[in-house]
Amino acid sequence: MGKVRFVKSDGSERVFEFGDAFSVMEVGRKNGVEEIVAECGGSMSCSTCHVYVDEAQLGNFPEPDELENDMLDCVSAERKPNSRLSCQLELRAVEPGQDITVTLPDSQI
Amino acid sequence: MVSTPFEFNPYSPEIDRDPFPAYAQLRDRYPCFWSEHAKMWVLSRYEDISNALQDWETYSSSGGNLMDELPNRAGSTLGSTDPPRHDHLRSLVQVAFTRKVVDGVIPIAQEVAERCLTAIKAKGRFDFVEDFSSQITVTTLFEMMGLPPGDHREVRNNVMLSMQSDSVTRKKEARHIDAFKKLVDYITAQVEDRRKTPKDDLISKMISAEIDGAKLSESEIVMTSTTLVFAGVESLSSFLTMFALNLHDFPEERGKLVAHPELIPSAIEESLRFNTSAQRFRRILMRDVELHGQSMKKGTFVCLCYGSGNRDERKFEQPDAYRVERNPKGHLGFGGGKHLCLGTSMARQVTAAVMTQYLAAIPDFKITDTNLNWTPSTTFRSPLALPLEIE
Repeated sequence: MGKVRFVKSDGSERVFEFGDAFSVMEVGRKNGVEEIVAECGGSMSCSTCHVYVDEAQLGNFPEPDELENDMLDCVSAERKPNSRLSCQLELRAVEPGQDITVTLPDSQI
Repeated sequence: MVSTPFEFNPYSPEIDRDPFPAYAQLRDRYPCFWSEHAKMWVLSRYEDISNALQDWETYSSSGGNLMDELPNRAGSTLGSTDPPRHDHLRSLVQVAFTRKVVDGVIPIAQEVAERCLTAIKAKGRFDFVEDFSSQITVTTLFEMMGLPPGDHREVRNNVMLSMQSDSVTRKKEARHIDAFKKLVDYITAQVEDRRKTPKDDLISKMISAEIDGAKLSESEIVMTSTTLVFAGVESLSSFLTMFALNLHDFPEERGKLVAHPELIPSAIEESLRFNTSAQRFRRILMRDVELHGQSMKKGTFVCLCYGSGNRDERKFEQPDAYRVERNPKGHLGFGGGKHLCLGTSMARQVTAAVMTQYLAAIPDFKITDTNLNWTPSTTFRSPLALPLEIE
């Protein structure tokens, strides 16, 4: 089963299996990754599950839609080209056996 | 001795003043309670409310989200529309709340706060609502929405009247509806003005926008804009006021913020949890639901008691203690799910900025009249005035 690697800006990291999670956000929430706040619970009404996706892995996921793109303008930390809302990173889109690496921003609120 | 059966009456002044003992009874003994007074089910536990917020297909907002609705709102605002239309509308309105926009209004809020604080210090005795929170919120919100600077007192009075219900007749009376109509008329005129002369602002964007190839209706544009004024003015002003009240009531906690202003963002989360102004919102059931042994029927309203979920010991440890260092995650102070408050970022940033200024200028203050006059409202909770003096 694939894993998600959550890397903090200080370089420390935590790794968790996908399990039955639907999205990268859910993997984070289920395993107590505090930096994934996910205030709205995954309905794209906040921007507090912001992550930076490993650039080589961006292609695993469909491009952000219009609403996600708007919400990314509301993130607390800097928006970068590899910024995504982790609730929109669906794990079923990931090739079997592949792990996903995301870097956590310093702030979500 | 005959014991009186438990009742929950959101129209009673007692609940306006202090709903928390009733909430505790609801959570412990009647987690799915039919309120005869409100004619709706009441959910009070964190988990039940949280589940309902995620399940918008069952707990629909299409019947309006205020406990007592105002004319023409249901179906025309973000808070009273379901997906997919809600998501299109939200995407459109979200542009007014981007990080860049919020960053841009902070200096304006700070400037108003500075002016207010100078006047307050000269007076010594003041009303936190009239002299501080109301002025900041109206000015900031109008700037953000591109509305001409208005009379903050008049706008706030109309908003405050609109949000109230009569505690005796248990409904919105002519004075409440009239105040809401004045707000709607004001916004309608602004929309008319933008139709003639488009500007680079939210109302103009809503006028030119299309969803699935169709323009927004006049009602959607007017009601969505009116609701933003309503929500911005009521919620932010009331929240600032409740925050100040908490800091008054818990002087040791206030002392921590004065000594360590970097704790203010955590304290904001704690006040949102401890006593959000958005106490109760409603949904309408789209199917029959069985919960805690009760059968709730399709087509009935359900009250989601955010204020109670935030005090649920099943979720928060020692929920009745106010601790500025708690930094609670997952509270319901802004609601949740699809309809999570649109202005979360603005509310947090503005509050942090102006309360930092306030505490630096006035670290010690005292209430001059402990008998506070609470807003008669089934949805919101805050004092109409907070009379203070500098110590």
